[in-house]
This record gives sequence, structure tokens and C-alpha cells, in this order.
Amino acid sequence: MAMEIHVQLTNQPIPASLPPPAHQGGVGAWTEFRGLVRVGENGSSIVALDYEAYDEMAQREMRRLLVELAAHHPCLNARVIHRVGVVPVGEAAIYVGIASAHRAEGFALLAAFMDRLKQDVPVWKRRSLSV
Amino acid sequence: MRILFFAHLQEVTGCTEFRLQPATPLSTDGVWSELMKSFPDLKHARAFVRLARNWEYVSDETIFNPGDEVALIPPVSGG
Repeated sequence: MAMEIHVQLTNQPIPASLPPPAHQGGVGAWTEFRGLVRVGENGSSIVALDYEAYDEMAQREMRRLLVELAAHHPCLNARVIHRVGVVPVGEAAIYVGIASAHRAEGFALLAAFMDRLKQDVPVWKRRSLSV
Repeated sequence: MRILFFAHLQEVTGCTEFRLQPATPLSTDGVWSELMKSFPDLKHARAFVRLARNWEYVSDETIFNPGDEVALIPPVSGG
């Protein structure tokens, strides 16, 4: 069965809590990751990062990567939200939620996806905003 | 052919997008050659910038047609 995929870019804060997919009884693991903006970026203290994306391609590329990686790490559902625009320190720039039958596949898919995202998905930290 | 620039390439070229109007389809080398006529400083970028055609990364064999959307993708830093 093909993995269900939801990919989104947003200039709004990512919700603090997102529910796991409730419709699939086969889900045994819901693995979540949030990448936060750190106060120290490249050795200097910042208050925010400004993210830029090539929207259409970024969404397609995230979806393509998930499909490709799910062939090796079969999972049931993947949800990715990447924030664009100004993201303050302490807030999430990215959220990934993976539903799988067992935790091992979810951990593996999540780790592999984040590695590939940082190589291939056209999103950039455009500038750091300092005090 | 619509050309899009992202990240610091917008400073290099001074714009976010540009129009090429090739008379015939172009190879990857052809696209770069045409771009460098208008933006000579892009020669410094070629070694680390990937091209995308219609929202997908290209190979060396890709042919670019006049109606394509082409993006110059410098090293990414999302997440």
C-alpha cells in the first residue's frame, strides 16, 4: 500500500501539537521531529532566521524523496510542514511526522528524509536576524 | 524560457528572474553560456549550482525548451 503523504510550506507558526493519523488501525508508531531555530547560528547570536523556498519544487522534491525512501523504509503516513519567512529562535522551522507499523521503520524514514532534505530540497536560510 | 534565481544568486545577478528567448532548444551547457552573456559573475557559481527544469533537477543530457521554467539552485540549507 502506498504511503499517504502530506507536504506543506507555510509562513505561519507550526502548531505546537499535531494529532497522529487516526484512521489507520495498523499504525503502531507515530514518530515526530521538530527542527528548531537555535540562538547560535554560525558562531553569532541571532533572534531569527529568514527562510526562502522555491515553493513548487520544494514541495515536489519533499514528496519525491518520501516516495523514494518509503521503498526502503515502508511506512503508512508522512506529514511534513516546512516554515518559510522569518522564524524566531525557539520556534520550529520544520515538522515531520511519520506513522508506521513499528518504530524502526519510522525512525529510519525520518532520519533518512532529514538527511536528504538538507541536500536536495530547495529551501535556504536566507539571512540571520540579530538583535 | 523563464529563469529563476534564489538565495545569494539574487545578489549576484541583481534580479530574481530573467527571460531567455533561445531560437532553438538548449543543452545544459547552452543554458549556462546564454546566462553568462548577461550575468558574467555566474561563472563563479557554476561549480556548485544545480539546474532544475520544470521543478526537477536535470542531468547533463537534459534539453531545455523555450517554454521551460529553469531554476538555478545553489546549495540548500533547509530544515
